[in-house]
Amino acid sequence: MPGRRAPLAVVAVGIATAATLTAAASGDAPAAAAATTTFTATADAFVDSSAAATNHGTSGQLGVDGSPVKRLFLKFTVSGLPGAVSGAKLRVHTDDVADAHSGAGGTFRATTDTTWSETGVTWNDQPAIDGTALGELGAVSRNAWHELDVTSYVTGNGTYSIGVTSTSTDGADYDSRETGATAPQLVVTTGTTTTTPAPSADPVLVGVGDISDSGSGDSVTADLLDDIPGTVFTLGDNVYDSGTRSEFSSYYEPTWGRHKARTRPSPGNHDYNTSGASGYYDYFGAQAGPSGRGYYSYDLGDWHVISLNSNISMSAGSPQERWLRADLAASTKRCTVAYWHHPLFTSGANHSPSTATRPLFQALYDYNADVVLTGHNHQYERFAPQNPNGGLDTARGIRSFVAGMGGAGHYRFGTIKPNSEARNSDTYGVLKLTLHSDSYDWQFVPEAGRSYSDSGTTACH
Amino acid sequence: MTALSRRGRLAVTAVAAVVLGGVAVGYARLAADPAQPLPSAPVTGPRMHVLSNGRLSAVSRADPAGPREVTGQRCDRAHAAGGTIACLRPAGALAAGALVVLDEGLRELRTVPLTGFPNRARVSASGRMVAWTLFVDGHSYAAGGFSTSTGVLDTRTGALVTSLEEFTVDGEPGQAADRNFWGVTFTADDNRFYATMSTGGHRYLVVGDFAARTLRPLVDNVECPSLSPDGRRIAYKAAVDGDPGRGWRLSVMDLATLSSTPLAETRSVDDQPAWWDDSAVVYGVQRGDGTNDVWTVPADGTGTPRVLVPEANSPAP
Repeated sequence: MPGRRAPLAVVAVGIATAATLTAAASGDAPAAAAATTTFTATADAFVDSSAAATNHGTSGQLGVDGSPVKRLFLKFTVSGLPGAVSGAKLRVHTDDVADAHSGAGGTFRATTDTTWSETGVTWNDQPAIDGTALGELGAVSRNAWHELDVTSYVTGNGTYSIGVTSTSTDGADYDSRETGATAPQLVVTTGTTTTTPAPSADPVLVGVGDISDSGSGDSVTADLLDDIPGTVFTLGDNVYDSGTRSEFSSYYEPTWGRHKARTRPSPGNHDYNTSGASGYYDYFGAQAGPSGRGYYSYDLGDWHVISLNSNISMSAGSPQERWLRADLAASTKRCTVAYWHHPLFTSGANHSPSTATRPLFQALYDYNADVVLTGHNHQYERFAPQNPNGGLDTARGIRSFVAGMGGAGHYRFGTIKPNSEARNSDTYGVLKLTLHSDSYDWQFVPEAGRSYSDSGTTACH
Repeated sequence: MTALSRRGRLAVTAVAAVVLGGVAVGYARLAADPAQPLPSAPVTGPRMHVLSNGRLSAVSRADPAGPREVTGQRCDRAHAAGGTIACLRPAGALAAGALVVLDEGLRELRTVPLTGFPNRARVSASGRMVAWTLFVDGHSYAAGGFSTSTGVLDTRTGALVTSLEEFTVDGEPGQAADRNFWGVTFTADDNRFYATMSTGGHRYLVVGDFAARTLRPLVDNVECPSLSPDGRRIAYKAAVDGDPGRGWRLSVMDLATLSSTPLAETRSVDDQPAWWDDSAVVYGVQRGDGTNDVWTVPADGTGTPRVLVPEANSPAP
């Protein structure tokens, strides 16, 4: 029974690794102490001039309109802030119904009266919208988050009340707090926000997979990229469901499209739902490598970066696998990262591990590569460094990630696999790698208003 | 797998429990929940089966959160009733996935090789009928991003239906390209059953007849039905506003009137529920990090949900 001794040995080594990682992570903790706290509205309602005596406080909708005139009111109770306020954002989410969108999202202003009640306020009995002017939202699309900077108003703990008006005859409809997850939010940042780029000029590689469908998750992750310079990778399933050129135009281009010039993509099975992934190759052009082939490599600083195609043959001796071995042999870089769509290691409940990718993982392992990034399961999972058979290998193992939290609806986890070190299935985000000369930092950067994080550092082999 | 494996597994269960237990605890420390490894302890009296991160386990019905007997049986989904245990075994390095039918002594009675990802399992109250659902990759008709495969085994006759797609729906033979089935529950006669059929963007409750190989749609927006012990109601998940993208509300439907009651669990539940007794249902809810807990809530819409078995899923009361 050769297997009997091995798992026990694995356990012992694993514990030692975990201890090392913890030490490294705490040693590298950033000095700045910025924190965000999210408050959902404690009261919200709209009032309607055409039903002047009616209260709409328990409606799931918050309408704002110029004709008939509708106004909406939001109230937040801010308490328990850990420090001085350095920024505050109001976030409102448009309904997922026809006509929720509008060319004008409304004019936002504080009300000095904060005593109005959600179930009492009516057109006839509404607070005066007489406080600090907060700004306007321009065009708002259906079923999406929209943000307004309210730092001038939210200065610390207290009760804050905001009224919204519109002169547009095609008003907007937002989700009220009764809807739960899409309730109006106030996101308050305390402490010093140090978004200074890495002190060194080490290159950043940032991205995710499973990105653009008709929902709003891709907008959220595209927004994160606005604040993260560097090269953008994608891990496939760039668009849903069929990978057509028109889906790239309708879904990807309006969100991730603004980062296209710095994007080096990889294709997924949904991209290949269009024959030959022609929509994908047409949209990305030369940035996707040789058209129709789907695998290519490039260098970033001291790193060699390889984008592979898990939708075509990966078997030992296949053109792709032979190309990969030749590419690795020719590389002069100290550290190597590779990415593709289908994961070899995943605890996801929807797609099982793709063993067809193992020859690629084996080639990378044979050439001492450091990191493999994949998607396909719509969630985040980080594994300890492993050999191609999933055994813990702290000497030569490759750390692998599933980063499928790019915007498509989240999946669930099944049985948690050995060596799985971190997981999340309820937060959109991007995975940021900072590529140092002999190590790398990884960081899960969550969507605005969410707190999940995962970060650490590992040395190159 | 060699001919040795069957006997070998039996030995593993009984004799080598120490070895496997040690490995299981090690994995738990590393992976599932570093703070709370799950030691195995004997359970007496009436029991309830659950999975503990993929290990078939049993807890006492009298103390579900108490001691837990963790076996060496690896299942990604399981169910047990009437002395029969159905275990959907994950694919391993050397073996494909399979349905394994076990008796209470964990003797393997039947193995059915299966391809796909274990998702639902159900044993009829008598222990005779076994059904399963797998996620299947590579079906291009799955506009919703997935496709399923659902089969039924009659453990008495050995009759095996590998896919409900073989059955006739409403007298219409042949297979609609976009039809998917999942979440079977059996009635007391071990012939009639309920399940979910999706087609054209809708998810219908269907009633099936195993002997006649027929299916008949009853009502829209019912997924993963689970028949109550008295046979008069189903617990199920109802897509919020008919849109699975918005999550599911755990509900109970009276089969005589088809009237539905949403239960007091307001979080989205993606599970085939089970019945604790005629007045309460049990179901798994997953935390953000993939850890599951088994919860219970009254079946009449009253009360509040509470954890029944922490760090467990796939409940079979």
